Amino acid sequence: MVRAVKEGKATEGSVDRAWAVLTIAPERRPASAGILRLLASLRLTLALIALLGCGVAFAYLREGARTWPLVVPLVLLALNLLAAVLTNGVFRRQTELLVFHLALIVLLLLVAAGRLTYLNGYVGVTEGVPFDGTLSDSDQGPLHAGDLARVHFVNKGFRIDYAPGLQRGATRNEVAWAGPDGRWHEELIGDQTPLVLSGYRFYTTFNKGFAPTFRWRNAHGADLRGSVQLPPYPLKEYSQAAEWTPPGSALSIWVMLDIDEILLDPAEHTTFRLPERYRLVVRIGRDRHEMRPGESLQTAEGTLEFEGLRSWMGYRVFYDWTLPWLLAACALAVVSLAAHFWRKFTAKPWDA
Amino acid sequence: MEQELQILWAAVTAYVLAGVVAVVGVVLGKRPERSVLALMLAGLALQTLSIGLRWDRLGHGPFITMFEILCSNVWSLMAAYSLAYWRIARIRATAAIVMPLMFVMLGWLMVAHPGEGHYPPTYNTPWLYIHIGLGKVFLGAVLVAVGLSCVILMRHAGIGRQRLAHLPASPQLDELAFRCMAIGLIFHTLMLIAGAIWAQDAWGRYWAWDPLETWAFIT
Repeated sequence: MVRAVKEGKATEGSVDRAWAVLTIAPERRPASAGILRLLASLRLTLALIALLGCGVAFAYLREGARTWPLVVPLVLLALNLLAAVLTNGVFRRQTELLVFHLALIVLLLLVAAGRLTYLNGYVGVTEGVPFDGTLSDSDQGPLHAGDLARVHFVNKGFRIDYAPGLQRGATRNEVAWAGPDGRWHEELIGDQTPLVLSGYRFYTTFNKGFAPTFRWRNAHGADLRGSVQLPPYPLKEYSQAAEWTPPGSALSIWVMLDIDEILLDPAEHTTFRLPERYRLVVRIGRDRHEMRPGESLQTAEGTLEFEGLRSWMGYRVFYDWTLPWLLAACALAVVSLAAHFWRKFTAKPWDA
Repeated sequence: MEQELQILWAAVTAYVLAGVVAVVGVVLGKRPERSVLALMLAGLALQTLSIGLRWDRLGHGPFITMFEILCSNVWSLMAAYSLAYWRIARIRATAAIVMPLMFVMLGWLMVAHPGEGHYPPTYNTPWLYIHIGLGKVFLGAVLVAVGLSCVILMRHAGIGRQRLAHLPASPQLDELAFRCMAIGLIFHTLMLIAGAIWAQDAWGRYWAWDPLETWAFIT
């Protein structure tokens, strides 16, 4: 306001208001203006960018610290930029530049909000077995408020073709999911197309494999079903084994799939499929058994029945509600910056 | 593949000749601008044919191996510089600086293995073309700015002042370089946005601070 009076651009009303500010609060105004100017310092911007760099490096090195080392410098940078916008007269004269900086502030705050509320996770889902909202691995922001427990879908199988040399082609995964009305919907997802449910995005990964499915009948007659996801295939072709503990039991069951055929021939075009010739080796303590689909095994704690082999698909789970807003803010920032340059460059030729 | 490589060699030869003629022209105080432009355009036409033949043979663009990425970058940088050379006649002498810079990339291209790579399914998206197309404009604009800035630096250092005298004054070159960098900044930003959209769809994250992303951010 004072700058406007000096430049002779103020209206009579604004001069009065400026005078009122100076006379009513003569001591407070310089102090607040001083703080604002301090906050708007370009040196502070450089220091905060360096702090953000350190935060990124820290978050990169320590998996457990991926929120606050990023959020704090981002918010401080937003405040620094906001103070610069408030104190620098150039923003009031150049609308495009003002919009660009406001978009930058929004971007910084959105990225910070995203870090506070994100979720990253991983889950393997066996074909035909509903996803129950439990992830096998995840990390999330401290303010994550999504409701993954209400997300349900079923992996209905997938198709992946391989070119010679085991070069993986497109992944086409059929899924069925329950809508808010309780009705089931079917969808084909894959490499570029995630399944999006309640803001959670499920991406297929290159992790997939085989899952022997069992029926477990305990000593009390309770009947439970479960599947053992063996290590990814063909990535870990020669270590198709895993340990499993049936629900409500202390029994440790070691399961190994011994495939007696070439499933994915590196010399030919081929497709991922379940093996037809295989042996399922089950070891409980020192006892070793070979099971075929439909066969049962009596143990001290119950009966184990091998139902058959299914496939499983690994999904990367991602949640960040800020995504569309980030894109909008980025678009606004670029358009306003381009408009600023356009206005500046068209005002006079470069060789004038 | 042999035919593609022979045509590429012919293109490289045309580029090298364009550079040599441009340098000799500046040194001798001549202005062989038409010859330089004709050689650059001949090189571009030949390289376009070579890339087209390879694209047709492999079924995908030059996006996978180092050889393909270098080849596509040489093509786009030459296309951007040829356009600037044709449209902004007053800065044509910068070819004597820009073309030797291109020789470095051409040399790298010639020693890169021309074998084919696996085209991942995550590359099967229009965002790949948008991302790369925007990146090409960014690099092209920056190359022109580099040529202009080198002239300013050489004048400051007292190198070739007389030979570069017919170029505009340094403040004007500075202004043009700034404009090229502004275009570069806009297209670099757009390239990053398109890359983030692609990464979100393909890998489930829009940013992961991998070495490529980190360097793009720093740039």
